[in-house]
This record gives sequence, structure tokens and C-alpha cells, in this order.
Amino acid sequence: MIGFANSLSRTGASLLALALLFAALWLGAAIGETAIPMDVVGRTIANRLWQAGYSLDPINEGVVWNYRLSRAVVAACCGSALALSGVVLQSLLRNHLADPYILGISAGASTGAVAVAILGFGAGLLTLPLGAFLGALLAFGLVSLLAMRAGRGHGAIILAGVAGSQLFNALTSLIVTKAANAEQSRAIMFWLLGNLSGVRWPDAWLAVPTAVTGLLVCLWHARALDAFTFGSEAAASLGIPVRRVYVVLIGASAMMTAAMVSIVGSIGFAGLVIPHAARMLVGIRHGLLLPASALIGAIFMIAADIVSRVIIPGQVLPIGVVTALVGAPAFAILLGRRGAAR
Amino acid sequence: MTTIPSIRRSLIAVAALMSSIASNAQAAETTYPLTLANCGRDVTFQKAPERAVSIGQSSTEIMYLLGLQNRMVGTAVWIGPVLEGYEEANAKVKRLADNDPSFESVLAEKPDVVTAQFQWHVGPEGVVAKPEQFEELGIPVYASPADCVGKDNTGGGDGVRYAVFTMELIYQEIAELAQIFNVQDRGEKLIAELRAREEAARKKVASANGKLSAVFWFSSAELDIDPYVAGRNGAPGYIMRALDIRNVIESDEEWPTVGWETIAKSDPTIIVAGKMERRRYPADDIALKHQFLRSDPVTNLMPAVRDGHVVEMDAQAMNPTIRTIEGIEVLAEAIAKSGLTQ
Repeated sequence: MIGFANSLSRTGASLLALALLFAALWLGAAIGETAIPMDVVGRTIANRLWQAGYSLDPINEGVVWNYRLSRAVVAACCGSALALSGVVLQSLLRNHLADPYILGISAGASTGAVAVAILGFGAGLLTLPLGAFLGALLAFGLVSLLAMRAGRGHGAIILAGVAGSQLFNALTSLIVTKAANAEQSRAIMFWLLGNLSGVRWPDAWLAVPTAVTGLLVCLWHARALDAFTFGSEAAASLGIPVRRVYVVLIGASAMMTAAMVSIVGSIGFAGLVIPHAARMLVGIRHGLLLPASALIGAIFMIAADIVSRVIIPGQVLPIGVVTALVGAPAFAILLGRRGAAR
Repeated sequence: MTTIPSIRRSLIAVAALMSSIASNAQAAETTYPLTLANCGRDVTFQKAPERAVSIGQSSTEIMYLLGLQNRMVGTAVWIGPVLEGYEEANAKVKRLADNDPSFESVLAEKPDVVTAQFQWHVGPEGVVAKPEQFEELGIPVYASPADCVGKDNTGGGDGVRYAVFTMELIYQEIAELAQIFNVQDRGEKLIAELRAREEAARKKVASANGKLSAVFWFSSAELDIDPYVAGRNGAPGYIMRALDIRNVIESDEEWPTVGWETIAKSDPTIIVAGKMERRRYPADDIALKHQFLRSDPVTNLMPAVRDGHVVEMDAQAMNPTIRTIEGIEVLAEAIAKSGLTQ
């Protein structure tokens, strides 16, 4: 009986979660720089999904379907992926401050992006997103090598990440100050702070599989992650293949983050704050924490994107500014509470 | 027989004109020391300069148009090829740098005046130098009114215009440079010519009766990202006002980034696309601009794109320069040809 009630409430919770996600996507498609009536949004989606054949202003329909909905879907994937990476890293490294960018990914992506945009690396063959992706992987590779050389302990990868990030940030600054003028640095700034305005459906075909695969890989290791809560020795004594789990999960986080950074630029704070918020809501069991983080991340990012579009009429703020404006105070409150609890 | 009196008549007319120019020149002889109020400072010129360094292509071209090439020893900041017809004159003047010259490379030419088009090169936050640094060495600095009158440059980048740019600022620069170099007759003649060209262009499209609207697309940091478009107070604002065209973008920033959603829904009759030599971003290429407009799922539905009302304009005409006048002519010509005046 208990098992049945449990699974019933689980189904209910999952349905509610899905409903929330669809509501967020709907709002993402309905709210934007310009006013488009709600019924047009509904009819557009009906037209595109079920060939409903409503006659609509083609520009309105195009904006809702091609600009806003693709953007909301990619924002959701990006929020999920960053939040998942945050959960995994905070758990594996047993550090509340760990976030996806601690692996040097954001810094490496920036260097890759400016190398392509300003120095012209790749002579037209490399696009800015591809440059960012390669830069992210290169930085992550270097950080991992350094962490391995530095030896055991979860502290090593964090220190290696800090060192790697500093190095790549310095390279970015070097390129920007040496070769760029005011206008170029402005464009790079825009990209560094995250930008969803260039997102179209083809980006979603990369973002959706990445986020879904990432979620499945993490869920597959949910019990291992639970074991890691008590340290890697404890996990090993429970029969968890520590090294393999480390490689698979950190690798998955790096790939997810690098893919998202290459699509939308580096968006801060989501990967750091969302896991903490999710832990407060559903506790520390990873079987629940992982999907909850993914969902909260998705909804948070869609909401942040909506805010970034409507807060200044006629202009779009970089989404990283919005996430940091919300994320930084939220994080401060979190820290304060931890201090008070001690 | 009848032709001789007419020739004689025109000869007499020419002679009269010549003498009137001569007498004008005599009337408008500059007396030194000359003190001008320029961009918030009083600048004193002890004599007509013989060794000028000009930083900024528009300033350089104004000086060529005034026939001052023999009194110039250096130029810098080139955005594109020199004004047609001045290639030979330009070849004789040393080019210190394609982009920002260093302070010492300017000093090395031992200039007796420095003219600067942009405040961010020579101004309170100038990357080349502050005007005071030149003046300490006895070198007066003349800065283009177009980049300081009614403009806030403290925020860096392209700056914010709170007062509308008008060609009067360029005419003021011509008149003041003519005064500094004691060629006031040439200055007056040049201004009269430019005013006549502006008036002729205006007449061409007078029958459109203010029912046209437009957006000026300079470039985009990435092809499908929010583009840089013209705010209402810069040179494009003046071009549109001169031809009685409504700017669909209402921003005080000189080149704000505005989403395609906003642009598509504001439905401009004309899209003016910037054509430039620069290849910093993919969208600098006019061919890629056309390709984007035709292939993006939303912009290809815009009436301006469908009906082929995409006008190419040299990017320099879109910035407050001596070329802005060409922008007015190009747009007027394109509108007259397109049949939009009916």
C-alpha cells in the first residue's frame, strides 16, 4: 500500500513538473520584445504541430515559432544542463562552491571565441561557437591534466580549475586589449555575458539531445552520487568504481557546459545557485535532486530570458546580467543562512 | 556670329565670379592668434598651420576637400578607401596607422596642429592622448564638433547622443578648419556645394510625403544575433529626417542592438544595409546581409525584403562624416528608382 501511494504521488509530482515546464515554455513563447496576443501564440503552435490551418499574420507566426519558442527551448536546455553540472560537481568534489565554470570551461570558451572573432583563427572555417567549444574542451583538458598531476583529493581539481581559468582569462584580456577596438570589445562583452538572441531551431537540435543525454547519464549514476556524499573512500567501500564514475560524470558535465556555452555564451550563477535551491526543496537524494535541479534550472533560465527581453523596452539585456542580478543576492542569502545555522 | 557675344558674356560672368571670390577671400582673412571654443576647451592657433596630423578619416577628407594636402604630414584611423578623386593627394601624405596611432608616432611628425575626429582617440579618455598632452608641447588640438556637441562619450564605445546630429556640425567643422588654415573662401564654397547637393536629393523624394519608414542595419556581431541598428540621433537619423522618412528604431544610443522581432514587427518600408570593406564580423559582408534577410524564417516575410526594398549604403555615410551627404543622395536615388515615391 505504501509503495502504491508513493508511486502515485510520484506520478503526480512528475505530471506537475511537466505542466510547470510547459507553462514556462508557453510564457517564453508568449512574452517578448513586442506584444503578440496569447491566442495567436496558441494558434501558431497548433498550426505548426497539428497543421491546424488558422490564418495568422505570417510575421507574428514566424516570431512566435522561429524566434521565441526555439529560444525558450534552448534556454530550458541550457538551464537544465548547467544546473545538472552544478549538482554533479558539488557532489563529486564535496564543495558547495563548485560550479560548471570551475573546470575552466567558461574561460576557455571565451579565449576560443575571441581567438576566432578578433584574431581570425581558423580563417573562416571556424565559427565563433565552434571556437568557443574547442576552447572550452582545451581548457578542460588542461585543467584535468593538471589535476591528475596534482594527485589525489577533490581539492586538486578546484585548484587546477582556478589556475586554468586565470590563465585563459589572462589570454582573453591579452587578445582583447592588444587587438580589439572599442566596438569589438563591446561585441565580445555581449557574447561573454550570454546571449540568446541568435538562437533558432537548429541550435535546439544540438541543445535538446545534449541536455537529455546529460540528464540520463546523471540519473544512471544517481546512487553513486548519493554514496559520494560521504566521500570517495566511503563510496569505494560501497563498491562504487570511484575512478570511472569520476571520469564519466565530470566528462559529462564538461561536455554539457561546453555545448551550452558555445550556443549561448557563458551564463553565470545558474550552475552554482540552482542545485542549492533544489536541495532546499527536495533534499539531498540524487534520484530526486537531479530531475528537480534540471526542472528548476529550465524554468529559471526561461524566466531570466523573458526578463532580459522586457525589462528595457526595445532592447535586450545579456541574460548573464539577469541571472547574476538574481543569482548573486540569492547566493548571499544562502551563505548567510549557512553561517547562522552553524 | 551669335555665339561670340554669348561667349563674351560668359567670360565676363566668369571674370565677375573670380573677382567676387577674390574679394571674398580678402574679406575673410583669418587674423592670428585665433582662439576657438572647441569641444569644451578654448584652443588658440598662433599661425596658419603648415604641418597638420589628422586622426580620423572624415577630418582628413574635409582637409583634402579644402585643398590642404600640402600642409598635412600624417593621417590615421582609416575606415575605408579615401574619398574618390583624392587617391593621389592621399598617397603623398604619410599614413601613420590604419587604426589608432600611438602618441609618439604623431609627435614624430613634429605637427603644428592635430585634428581628431573621435573623442575616444583624442579626448578626455583618449587612447592616443588627451588634448592637454599635445598642448603641453605647444601643439593645438582641433576636435570634430560632430563627436562632442550633444554627445556623451563618458560611457565609452560609440557613446550616447542626446542631441540630434545634423550636417550643420560638419559644416561647422569645415568652416572652422577653413578659418584655422586661413582658407575661408574655399570653406564657404564647399559648404554651399554640399547644401545644394542635400537640397537636390531632398527634392527627388519630396512626393513620398512622409509615408516611408526605414531601419539602418550597420552590422551584427554574429549573423543571426540582434543587429546593430541606427538610433534616432546619429547620422542615419539626420539622413531620414532630411528625406522625411520615419526611423522605426526609437533609441538615443548611436548604434543600439535591437532584436529582429522588434524590427520585423515595426515593418519598415525600407531596409538600409551597410556596405563596408571591414570584415570583422560575417555580417560586415553585404552579400551575407542579403542572404540572411532572404533566408531567416521571419525577415524573409518582411514586405521590405519581399519587395526588394533593401538599399545598400556605404557604412561611412552612416556615421557622422563628410560622407553623410552621399548617404542622403544614395537613399533618395534608390527611393526615386524603386517607385516608392508614388
